[in-house]
Amino acid sequence: MTTPSSRELPVCTCPLVDSETGRQATVVAIACGDHDACRLRAMGVYEGATVSVIGKRHCLLVDVRGTRLALGADLAEGITVRPQERPKH
Amino acid sequence: MTATAGPERLAVTEPLRVAIIGNPNTGKTTLFNAMTGLRQRVGNFAGVTVERVEGGYRMPDGRRVAVLDLPGSYSLSAGSPDEQVALEVLLGRDEAHWRPHVVLVVADASHLERNLFLASQVCELGLPVVIALNQIDAATEQGIQIDVPALIHEIGVPIVPTIASRGEGIEPLKQAILIAAALPVPERRFTLPSDTAAALAPLQEQIERDGFSPSAAAMEALRLLSVTRGEAHLARVDELPRHLESTRDALRALGIAPERVEAEARYEWISGVLARSMVRRERTLRTFSDRLDAVALHRTGGPLLFLVVMALVFQAVFSWATPLQDVIEAVIATIGGTIGGWLPAGDLRSLVVDGVFAGVGSVLVFLPQIAFLFAFIGVLEQSGYMARAAFLMDRVMRRVGLHGKSFIPMLSGYACAVPGIMATRTISDPKDRLATIMVVPLMSCSARLPVYTLLIGAFVPALPLMPGLDLQGATMLAMYLLGTVTALAVAALFRATLLRGPVRPMILELPPYRWPSVRSLGVSVWQRCQLFLRRAGTVILSLSIVLWALATYPHATVDPTLPEAQRQEAQLGYSALGRFGHAIEPVVRPLGYDWKIGVSIVASFAAREVFVSTMGTIYGVGDKEEAALVDRLRAERGADGALVYTPLIAVGLMVFYVYALMCISTIAVTVREAGGGRIGWRWAAIQFGYMLALAYGAAWLVIVVGRAMGYAA
Repeated sequence: MTTPSSRELPVCTCPLVDSETGRQATVVAIACGDHDACRLRAMGVYEGATVSVIGKRHCLLVDVRGTRLALGADLAEGITVRPQERPKH
Repeated sequence: MTATAGPERLAVTEPLRVAIIGNPNTGKTTLFNAMTGLRQRVGNFAGVTVERVEGGYRMPDGRRVAVLDLPGSYSLSAGSPDEQVALEVLLGRDEAHWRPHVVLVVADASHLERNLFLASQVCELGLPVVIALNQIDAATEQGIQIDVPALIHEIGVPIVPTIASRGEGIEPLKQAILIAAALPVPERRFTLPSDTAAALAPLQEQIERDGFSPSAAAMEALRLLSVTRGEAHLARVDELPRHLESTRDALRALGIAPERVEAEARYEWISGVLARSMVRRERTLRTFSDRLDAVALHRTGGPLLFLVVMALVFQAVFSWATPLQDVIEAVIATIGGTIGGWLPAGDLRSLVVDGVFAGVGSVLVFLPQIAFLFAFIGVLEQSGYMARAAFLMDRVMRRVGLHGKSFIPMLSGYACAVPGIMATRTISDPKDRLATIMVVPLMSCSARLPVYTLLIGAFVPALPLMPGLDLQGATMLAMYLLGTVTALAVAALFRATLLRGPVRPMILELPPYRWPSVRSLGVSVWQRCQLFLRRAGTVILSLSIVLWALATYPHATVDPTLPEAQRQEAQLGYSALGRFGHAIEPVVRPLGYDWKIGVSIVASFAAREVFVSTMGTIYGVGDKEEAALVDRLRAERGADGALVYTPLIAVGLMVFYVYALMCISTIAVTVREAGGGRIGWRWAAIQFGYMLALAYGAAWLVIVVGRAMGYAA
């Protein structure tokens, strides 16, 4: 329920923009305008959600639990994620 | 209204009132159409889901049920004007509308996690709730198995699986709604940590004091933590901003980020609920949608496909509708001829044949084209391609300072500017939205179709250019392109001057591709046709009669030995309309028009189609209809013996119609959507003024340049 303090933040976090395509990642922080952040959370992108970038064009194509979202690159810059371990095949 | 205190007891004779809410792309409108069929009452102007659409049905025992289709919303945290409407209705704070007895939440079974976020908010409003688990078939296909009884147990409201596109589950859903009306209202199913709850308590009390039920106040308090802008329905809550800020401070003091509280609490509860009621097979295969998107969103293939789709739509609207138009034409001609034959020669027959049938008839012929256009836009919307188009266009739109989402209202503008302007409600940034409203009427709407079709049919030869496209089709496409390109340029201008501001980042859901539901499409197209027919029966009919009267009186004393055509000409010149036309001729002369065109333009300021019906009335072609009107136009000569209509004049006239805002409904909707009152009127005046200036200037330029190039005008 509390915000992860800087101590708890894992070292390997990056903005969603730089997240590897096809790799699942956990949302750690959403630091865009309050209004957009509120919207993102309602659409399933909240702190703790699992997302994966599936394509990079002028915007990012993101998979959120089977939903496809197009997110502006400027927005994706403000979303910090922690890439997850690759699932074992 | 103190209806927020709890659901009203309902009398048996009163219809049961149901409001439908759900995330966008859940098949909400399809479900609404499946429940109510054709018994829908659409306001004067209806968008697909943007305007409030009401319908109803009867239960087998005769009980009436009224259904209200609310705009698609991801949450109740009113980001756009659209979501604000939904929240106000559900809280009974919308003075203009009834509060529902039951709320039906439509949830997409394949995306339950996100859909239950909205559902969990709605469950706290203090109203009985029913959840329709829609598109359950798609969920099963994706390997998602939902234990419905377990889900009912977890959420505490009736839940009915449905497949709206096939009409499955509708009857059980109707039963469940009736039963739910008598059930106790659902409550919040999770508890906040005690320190968070304690921090929220004062805010909640403050909201309760304004007449909200404890449950609704708790929902509002939690929701407001992440909302930064003021909301109209809470304006009466005493010192809300101060209480909200102190609550946020209290949470921060506990090391809690206030804006995250709601999302974390609800999603945590939802993941627990789904863990106990849903099994999801790990998805490894690429879905059908993914494969389609590989093409539709491809860097080069995507835009190419988009152009092909657009070209196909326009060519189809223009050519596929022709056989149907011929049928309507023949029917009107037969009826007009028969009725005309019964009446004695004189003013009455002239009124019926030249006024009513020539006027209204010449517009009615366009019904099939309009039906096709709306059907195509419906297919694009329902199939999910519209969102891809918005995605592809985002690049272009961003360059002119608009959001990719602005493309959807603009595309709807091809059908009609009114639903187009209403569709801007989904745009949350006010400046973005206003700039879109200002340019939507530049998109060539279906009312321009009759004008283009008449002029192209008369003056542009059907030279084949390439398979599937001839010069007529290309001219039509050019008119649409001209309007579209100008709309983008004007939007850029507005965004750089009056509406300067940053462009909001793109957040857009790309829903899975789906086959459109024929039934639902049929219902929407039928609504549109009804509106068009109503317009033809009211505005156009009355204007036709007025114009007929102006063209007929006062009667001239004409030499009866003259040939028919000259007698008619003399009468027209002597009539009130003729005198008015001659008075305004100096204004339209620089554009190369004679007074008859001038009169038709003035008459069509209320509605563009009237241009065609006025032409019909002026030339009194009556029962011979459009084919004859085309011939008359081609042969028409002015006093100097030169042809009045040359291809150059026709092009100039079409360009004028591309730009001019000649539609009372659009002006009315702009006034309302741009803020109403004086602000609304100011924007409507700016819109009307710039479009008229653009129309006159561009038409003049066409004539000047055309003449310089040696074309006759």
